Amino acid sequence: MTLTVLSVMFTAVISQNIVLSQYQGICPFLGVSKKMSSAAGMGFAVIFVMAISSVFCWLLYNYILIPLGIEYLSTMAFILVIASLVQLLEMLLKRFSPTLYSALGVYLPLITTNCAILGTANSTIVFSSYESFGLVFAASVATGVGFLLAICLLAGVRLKTDGADIPACFKGFPITLVTAAIMALAFAGFTGMLAG
Amino acid sequence: MEYVISVLIAGGVMLAIAVIFGTILVVCSHLLAVRRDERIDAVENLLAKSNCGGCGRAGCAQFAEALVKGEAKLSDCRATPAANKEKIAALLGGGEVGEETVAVVHCSGGGACYDKYDYQGYGDCASCELIAGGVKACPVGCIGKKTCVGSCAYGAVSVGDEGYSVVDKEKCVSCGACIADCPKGIISRIPKSAKVFVGCSNHGKGKDVMELCKRGCIGCGICAKNCPAGAIEMKDGLPEIDYSKCTGCMTCVHKCPRKCMREH
Repeated sequence: MTLTVLSVMFTAVISQNIVLSQYQGICPFLGVSKKMSSAAGMGFAVIFVMAISSVFCWLLYNYILIPLGIEYLSTMAFILVIASLVQLLEMLLKRFSPTLYSALGVYLPLITTNCAILGTANSTIVFSSYESFGLVFAASVATGVGFLLAICLLAGVRLKTDGADIPACFKGFPITLVTAAIMALAFAGFTGMLAG
Repeated sequence: MEYVISVLIAGGVMLAIAVIFGTILVVCSHLLAVRRDERIDAVENLLAKSNCGGCGRAGCAQFAEALVKGEAKLSDCRATPAANKEKIAALLGGGEVGEETVAVVHCSGGGACYDKYDYQGYGDCASCELIAGGVKACPVGCIGKKTCVGSCAYGAVSVGDEGYSVVDKEKCVSCGACIADCPKGIISRIPKSAKVFVGCSNHGKGKDVMELCKRGCIGCGICAKNCPAGAIEMKDGLPEIDYSKCTGCMTCVHKCPRKCMREH
């Protein structure tokens, strides 16, 4: 069991990294990676939302959609649940934890409708063969950690390339995309490790 | 019939989920509403809303909050018109309003100031300053490469034909962005109502200044001697104007042999 959880998490963080090998969540990956602090904030917000959404989406899918035979509506139902949950969460944070709210607050609504969140819910709950809820939850959190890892790595590289002497035509987004591509290549090296 | 039922079930379930979550959100937004001082919004509406950051806070919303809590002074904000400040002061029960100010560039050199070298870069004042302290012979002469023009969010600063920066006092909100960015440090605030200002920052001796610039202040003191209100005093080679005494008679502007005492 422990080994399964570990291998699921390793797969989600490294070898099947959400950004670098599945190409989901590219928008915040490129948009919020200019500064290390905002990149980390975004990463933690993603982990947070992924963990919460996996719980509720799993409940919804297994106890409402499957018994009624309408699994094909999972995408719509997941969007609905995730969007409302994040709204609710924002209110709760604002009321009870202003510190956490000011740290995550800006990024929470940004990721509500992000494809990475929905993609993770879909791939861990609908299209996977995970039997227990524990595995689904572990995979979701690990996917968020994978996002945090990827965005923080990119932010670190971008801090260097911003000050580096590079050709004018490469400045800004071109060099960022080249960086992301090389990072994706590096992550591709993990393919097949601990699979299954 | 079967199809109709399955469509109804699907639609009904989605609608039910939506209604449930909608209700929860509405209820929670009422239950969890964060109560905040109503005066904060009122004050924020009266502020300039320029979000210039001149007060040292992130924006007008944060400044309004600090004002209400008593952590900030009304005079820290320079962008808000005096009339609105008085309303805010009344709302909060007192507080110094502060005088309305604008920024001016204390240099009249430009083309009149000699160049040390032929600058061929494409940078602004800040990068020009790195090469032997700028292209101008005068160490405190306006370089005229528009760093201040770029830092002004209100389009109030421009570089005219004379080659030095000029602030449009009608557009300026006195946020201080140009003051912080000018590598020469020759921009400062004066009262908006001021009629004249000193268009030079060079404290040097007359002969030295003459070698640098055709319009630099030589410290002759003619303005101070001729001022009927006694508002001008010579300090360290430059005139200093006491705006509380200045009547705006323009005697100094007409008498200045170097044309660096300028009309505002």
